[in-house]
Amino acid sequence: MRNFILFVRRFFNLILFLVLEIVCIILIARTNTIQGNDIMSSANTAAGLMYKQQNDVVYYFGLRRMNDSLVNENARLRLEMAAYKSFDTLRDTNVRIAIQSTDTNKHIVEYNQYFYRTARVINNSVTEANNYITINRGSKDGISKNMAVISGTGIVGRIVHVSAHFASALSVLSVKQKVSAKLKTGEIGYITWDGVHPDVMAMEDVPQQIKVKRGDSVFTTSYSFFPADILIGTVYKTSSIKKNNQQILYLHPSTNFRNLQYVYVVENKMMDERKQLEDSVKAK
Amino acid sequence: MSVYLKNFLRFTFILLIQVLILNKIALRWWAQPAGFPVFTPFIYPLFILLLPFETPVWALLMLGFIAGISVDTFMNTAGMHACATVLIAYLRTNVLNALLPKNLSEYPNQSPSVKNMNWMPFLVYASFLILLHHTIFFVLELWSVSNIGYLLLKIFASSITSVLFIIVYLLLFTRQVNARS
Repeated sequence: MRNFILFVRRFFNLILFLVLEIVCIILIARTNTIQGNDIMSSANTAAGLMYKQQNDVVYYFGLRRMNDSLVNENARLRLEMAAYKSFDTLRDTNVRIAIQSTDTNKHIVEYNQYFYRTARVINNSVTEANNYITINRGSKDGISKNMAVISGTGIVGRIVHVSAHFASALSVLSVKQKVSAKLKTGEIGYITWDGVHPDVMAMEDVPQQIKVKRGDSVFTTSYSFFPADILIGTVYKTSSIKKNNQQILYLHPSTNFRNLQYVYVVENKMMDERKQLEDSVKAK
Repeated sequence: MSVYLKNFLRFTFILLIQVLILNKIALRWWAQPAGFPVFTPFIYPLFILLLPFETPVWALLMLGFIAGISVDTFMNTAGMHACATVLIAYLRTNVLNALLPKNLSEYPNQSPSVKNMNWMPFLVYASFLILLHHTIFFVLELWSVSNIGYLLLKIFASSITSVLFIIVYLLLFTRQVNARS
């Protein structure tokens, strides 16, 4: 026993060093699991408040750019609305009309599956291998984990940490997050990021025989946590892989991750039900 | 000012600079060269480097852990900065012993600085530990050796940038050099 105490006293620094390093490694390992840890993230109250203070100052410098993007988005939405209001029954084979729940003479009921909440980005990065975005909404505003985050122009990421008033989202600019994607023609692949360039993403798993031109758009699918048919980016380069007969499409993301100001957090009300069903199938 | 208060204020100040200013800037050495990394400079290890000579190793380790975890909290990288900072806190005493002519106990009530170490030894001390810190951090962050050229480039380029920023910090905020009389 005495020898043991002497040993501990002699090597106390080394032991403390090893213990602290092991604690760090456990922390690193735990962040890669689904639960994550909410205490050590920028969603916690202290870090969130500090980022908010800073954002309150820096916010005004981006107002003009933000106005422009909001006007553009409004114009796009108006265009879409107009398309719903008037339809040509000779040309359109299927017609979509907004259905009120009080209408009893229509038989098609499409559930309002998605709920959108706005949030302001109070911290953002593009330089890490896994980039996170902190927003000024938390569980008090109804945000919860695994909700999708989109901007006016495209996809942004997925909520991973939530506190009472803040939440942080893992951006699509992350080496550990893949997003399912499709071309205009319906071919499915997935989006990866190389961890280097914030303006370049790659779409993999696309068969070689599919002709893709420069400027083709890539959209989200309903397979992922994102709502379907949200623009991801436009293709600017393709390269084919000889050995497995596939090609990689390089695309510029439609979201400008460098100056994100406002984002929408999308709640998919059917997600729990869908997850439950899918998990129950997997369990068998 | 007591040495505890002084170091606590310095910790807060360096952490604020790191989180509010340096984390927001993305440096690139040239405009758009393919494969060249974008990086942020890290100056918060300077807090560990500037602690007094007499600080016992266990205190260095604990302070390194706290500093690392604080930065981790702000950058969503739980444990990575802490891991790197604890390592340099552990090795700090050995590096100082190797670089200084006298034993560490012969510098009572002093901190490592350009004034009592001269530029060259201080820069060797700072650059070596910063390089070590960045190596550990980026290896942990990327966690693959498939792109080893990129990893090495990122480590060296950001270490050099961080050391430049540390020199700027020293010149701006500390009385490192004797005033010319």
